[in-house]
Amino acid sequence: MSAAALPARGALRAAGPWLAAAASAILLWWLLDARLTHDLLDWLPYLASGFAMNVLISVLAMTLGTLGGIGLGAMELSAVRLVRAPAVAYVQVFRNAPHLVLIFATTYIFPFEIVVAGNYLPFPDWLKAVLGLAIPAAAYVAEIARGAIQSVPTTQWDAAKGIGLSRSQTLRWIILPQCLRRALPPWMNFYASITMSTALASLVGVHELLHAATDASTAVRRDDFTIAIYLTVLLAFFLFCYPISRLTRRLERRLVRR
Amino acid sequence: MAQHSADRPNLVDLQDVHLSFGAVEVLKGIDLTVAKGDAVSIIGPSGSGKSTILRCINGLAQPQAGRITVAGVRVDTLRSEAERIALRKRIGVVFQQYNLFPHLTVLENITLAPVRILKVPRAEAEGHARDLLARVRLADKVSAYPGELSGGQQQRVAIARALAMRPELVLFDEVTSALDPEMVGEVLAVIRELVREGLTSILVTHEMRFAEEISDTIAFTENGRIVAQAPPAELFYRSGNPRIRQFIGGFQGFRDAMQDREGI
Amino acid sequence: MIDAALQRFIALAGAVGLHYDFLLSGTEVRSWLAGMGTTLLLVVLAIPLSLAAGIAFAAALTSGRPWLGLPVRAYVELTRNTPTLVQLMFAFFALNMLLSRALGGAANNPFTPVFWVLAVTGLHVAAFHAEALRGGIEAVPAPLVEAAQATGFSRLEILRFVTLPLALRTALPALVNNLVNLVKLTTIGSAIAVGEVTYASIMIWTQRDNVLELMILILLFFGLINLTVSRIGRLVERRLAVPGYGA
Repeated sequence: MSAAALPARGALRAAGPWLAAAASAILLWWLLDARLTHDLLDWLPYLASGFAMNVLISVLAMTLGTLGGIGLGAMELSAVRLVRAPAVAYVQVFRNAPHLVLIFATTYIFPFEIVVAGNYLPFPDWLKAVLGLAIPAAAYVAEIARGAIQSVPTTQWDAAKGIGLSRSQTLRWIILPQCLRRALPPWMNFYASITMSTALASLVGVHELLHAATDASTAVRRDDFTIAIYLTVLLAFFLFCYPISRLTRRLERRLVRR
Repeated sequence: MAQHSADRPNLVDLQDVHLSFGAVEVLKGIDLTVAKGDAVSIIGPSGSGKSTILRCINGLAQPQAGRITVAGVRVDTLRSEAERIALRKRIGVVFQQYNLFPHLTVLENITLAPVRILKVPRAEAEGHARDLLARVRLADKVSAYPGELSGGQQQRVAIARALAMRPELVLFDEVTSALDPEMVGEVLAVIRELVREGLTSILVTHEMRFAEEISDTIAFTENGRIVAQAPPAELFYRSGNPRIRQFIGGFQGFRDAMQDREGI
Repeated sequence: MIDAALQRFIALAGAVGLHYDFLLSGTEVRSWLAGMGTTLLLVVLAIPLSLAAGIAFAAALTSGRPWLGLPVRAYVELTRNTPTLVQLMFAFFALNMLLSRALGGAANNPFTPVFWVLAVTGLHVAAFHAEALRGGIEAVPAPLVEAAQATGFSRLEILRFVTLPLALRTALPALVNNLVNLVKLTTIGSAIAVGEVTYASIMIWTQRDNVLELMILILLFFGLINLTVSRIGRLVERRLAVPGYGA
């Protein structure tokens, strides 16, 4: 960056708080419309329960995806073609698949209840959404895992052998910690994006935030309320995902420094 | 070398130029004159502000005080970037780090500015470019990319690129400092020819013998000031300034050895 | 001839338990093919839109001028950290609604749902392009920019002839990645009844209950598009490669 850009950057930082104050003032003036604020607050619990569903879906999908993805990643690195090929195929197919399509797939393909040991258990929509997102999550995590493992230089293995560590010890004390460090930023990034994808579940009727917002908007049928409610949804996701993104960037920088 | 003539107009005139970067004062009152058709070398210890002087001349750095006149333009009073850009089109610069555009061929590097800035028709610009490449002895490298050339070759292309704009003045900023010794000679040979043909140039250089050979005057900088500007013979051998004598003396011992080291 | 081939395919599929009978029904197939066409249209329009906007955003971010950089930075952070579907809903149900009001009724509103899908997805991916390009721009060595300045190029000319061509080469893999995501993103159009391939498929499987069969076709379809995008990306990368620069 040229020397001329530096004072401009300083101005940016100085302007920041003023702009934030201005934005908050406008928002406040608008919310002072008592009726609007009243209605928003009325619907808040409903919306909050919806957002809790988004978080639940994202956590479950990410957990399943991570477990599956690590396995798939390991399979991709196998020397045995028979093990490698299906993993590679899975990753190729499901990295190119739109998340919405997969959510539709799991929602409509799986039955609405399953039979386990003679008992009829309901198979709720949100669980289907979890599976719908876990499928591509596994593919992405597989690539992240594979990339992390491959980025550790082979010299590390040699060095570990040189000081007398066994293969499993090397893996546990030398390789895996480094892998985890390298995998963490992209993994966190992906978690944020999965959380945003959970909004797609609204299109299959899952009671999550966006669906709740559309419910509220149709119930109240007022323009300013509709705008406010969608802004609230945007704000909720932003407040959840932005800190993750900042943290990820900070971690990445620390990683590079090492 | 043509004698410095008092009745030839000054192309470049710096008077009492002061420049600070933040709290650090780099130029503490620079006086420099360059007559049209002359070659002026600026020598001196590292950090004495030599490169900064060049950057003031083409408006890349703005001084806090002093007068700078280049080809009749008061550079220190230029306010808008557009005015500075207009000035820069008339001045050529060759840098230490050749800085060729890596994504363009040698020919494209040379014709980019004439075609895009001066709106010269492409065929004419390419013809001129080939002539310049022939002059720097790189006629066969027309379609090569900078990444395929050696340092000395890249620097010669950089000189051709600077000349393509037909500048009234060319600034050479330590152009051989980054080159391997065996390539220095080929670049100096090119500059020698250009100076002989009457190119007005200002060179910041560490090549003492070369400076002595081609310069009409040499300016010696120290601590942000030009302490003397005189023809080489006077500055090198008859200087009353002990610091200058000490600086040159450091090179005296190599003078005879350098006599033998002739490039092209 | 196509009919005969279709019959054989349906028979084969039927043997494995997949029902592709809908391929023989005139109207359904036509609407499904139209859906594919709409998706292709969205892809073909959104890609250049996102690239152009991405370049503009990147130029604003690296301009060193806060009045340009700040709003763009704010938009980039906002769009990267909120679901695109929500952005689309907001644009269509809130902004578009206001626009219709202002123009005196929906009939006077020239902006179709297709426009909003293109705008939202295009600008969303443009934000990612901008970050990739910004990295590429900042990786261009400062001496090169100074050499261009010394020649007499204006800021915009330097961007056009020196900085951007080099930044593009550095950022190309990331840009292609973003475009693959863009292709997948066009499916959110089905939420506002844009008749792309997902929407068309929903229409069919709600009647025929052949979700799995259609799913397979859709996955193949998107797989093919994304393969093409990646291939083109690699072709461009090869054509732009210059010896001695980041090769």
